[in-house]
Amino acid sequence: MAATQKLYPRATVKRVVKAHSNRNVSKNADILIFLDYMLFMQELMRESSIQSRKVGEKNISPNSVRKVTEKTLRRFKG
Amino acid sequence: MSTTPNSRRRSPRLSEVSESFSPIGDTTLTGLSRLPIHNKFPLTPSRHATTSTTPSANRFTPRNRGAGAPATPFRLNAIQRRNANTPGRDRRKSGRIQRETTFDILRNLGKALAPATQPIRSSPSEKPEPEAPELAEPERDEFEILDNEPEMERPRLSLPLEEVYEVDEEPELRPPRLSLAIEEDDITVEYPRRATSELDRGRLSMMGPRMSENFGDATRLESDDEDDGDDTGLVQGDDDGDEAEETITSQGAFDRGGDTEDLGRFNFEFNFPSPPAPGVGDLDQDAPMQDDEGFELPPVDMPLDLDVGPGDDNDDVSSVSDAGGDFGMEFPAAEPIAMSESQSPGVAGGLREEQQYLPGVKQKKLSRHGIPVPNLPVGVVKKLAMRFARARHGSKAKISKETLAAIEQASSWFFEQASDDLAVYAKHAGRKTIDESDVTTLMRRQRHLNNATTVFSLAQKHLPKELLQDMRLAMPP
Repeated sequence: MAATQKLYPRATVKRVVKAHSNRNVSKNADILIFLDYMLFMQELMRESSIQSRKVGEKNISPNSVRKVTEKTLRRFKG
Repeated sequence: MSTTPNSRRRSPRLSEVSESFSPIGDTTLTGLSRLPIHNKFPLTPSRHATTSTTPSANRFTPRNRGAGAPATPFRLNAIQRRNANTPGRDRRKSGRIQRETTFDILRNLGKALAPATQPIRSSPSEKPEPEAPELAEPERDEFEILDNEPEMERPRLSLPLEEVYEVDEEPELRPPRLSLAIEEDDITVEYPRRATSELDRGRLSMMGPRMSENFGDATRLESDDEDDGDDTGLVQGDDDGDEAEETITSQGAFDRGGDTEDLGRFNFEFNFPSPPAPGVGDLDQDAPMQDDEGFELPPVDMPLDLDVGPGDDNDDVSSVSDAGGDFGMEFPAAEPIAMSESQSPGVAGGLREEQQYLPGVKQKKLSRHGIPVPNLPVGVVKKLAMRFARARHGSKAKISKETLAAIEQASSWFFEQASDDLAVYAKHAGRKTIDESDVTTLMRRQRHLNNATTVFSLAQKHLPKELLQDMRLAMPP
């Protein structure tokens, strides 16, 4: 992983969450939120690669991503 | 004839038996065994018995069958068919018995007695009908007067062979009534649920006077709100102005809707995350989404509704505000959708709607709280996606631009969903800020954290060191 450079813009994540929830985000909670997002991405890519392999595509196609998005999002429902 | 070879065959074995018996020392048996004639007798009777029974059986079975078979012609038929299938069975039978059964005898007799008979025809149905009422009427006069029924048809004893096709031609039965037309507005009929939600689109405007009768239909409002909220909001406003008391009487129905409100939210949860192809299905999905979001609109949006209300129906503000008071949650729920879809896209809409109107513009999306939502930078998303895709596909994983767009869409939905959940958790804890504990709660509920996995182990796995340190500072153990 790219540890040397910044992994993600912390302020952006904070603003995103704040905009959606209309609440403030405590100082370091965004790290955890981004951690959760990374887990989500991992799951999403895993599912979509499985899906694309099932269909027989070489690379991950947008359709397979769209197909698994719902499932993955539901799995990440709190 | 059968005995002689048998006896010859038996004799050596008997001698063996006798010799085997002799060493035992039974003197009487040895003495007896020497006599050959005497030897035969203990065995031959049984042998005779078997040989005698089998020919007698052979001789008697046909006779038995001849006696028992033709009891009914069907049985005879069955026997004949069976014999035809297994021809070896009646090889030994004499053909006379098979040819002459009692049925044949009877048939011959019948032919001799009545040479000119025709095969049986089905009895005509026309004749007995005029007879039937004459016969029936004197018997059951009172009943017929009483219930005035058409008398029962006399049962026919034979099948109406030639009438089978005529019945189809006769228009005795009217064609079955098709489903009710939408126009005939019979409220007493209980429609199936789905049907109501479709029917009501036309009927909602004239729903006012009958609402109180419409007892079982309380869910209709919910479903209609889900389908498309725009006409419900405005049209209800019209109704309230016209017939205020009806809506008051129907308030019970609306309150009953409050029970099913959770059902609506339940549906919403299932509807929500399905990502359609971006342009196509968005409108359909937006309606339930925005509907549900409308429930939680801050009261800032409320006066907006009231301003628009009298503009649409030229009535006094009091009725509208009255209606708003009556409807409680439903009324403001329906209004903003209508507004934002029809007039001004930017007022109270949610995220998805904005994308629909302004597909290309970035950084202008508004959350449903009216706060602009920035996008995550594409590079970050792509880096993450590549990282996880590489773990699966090896180093040659490629992510096309469209795939990246889909991933971005998914991640923006993820943030929306996660932020909503976090806000709920924080609100439940009575806080104004989203805390680390909220996030851990969320992750625990997502089954990412359990007894074996802590936040720190996950973070150690995924996050760089600096962030890990920050996190540790923020959350002591």
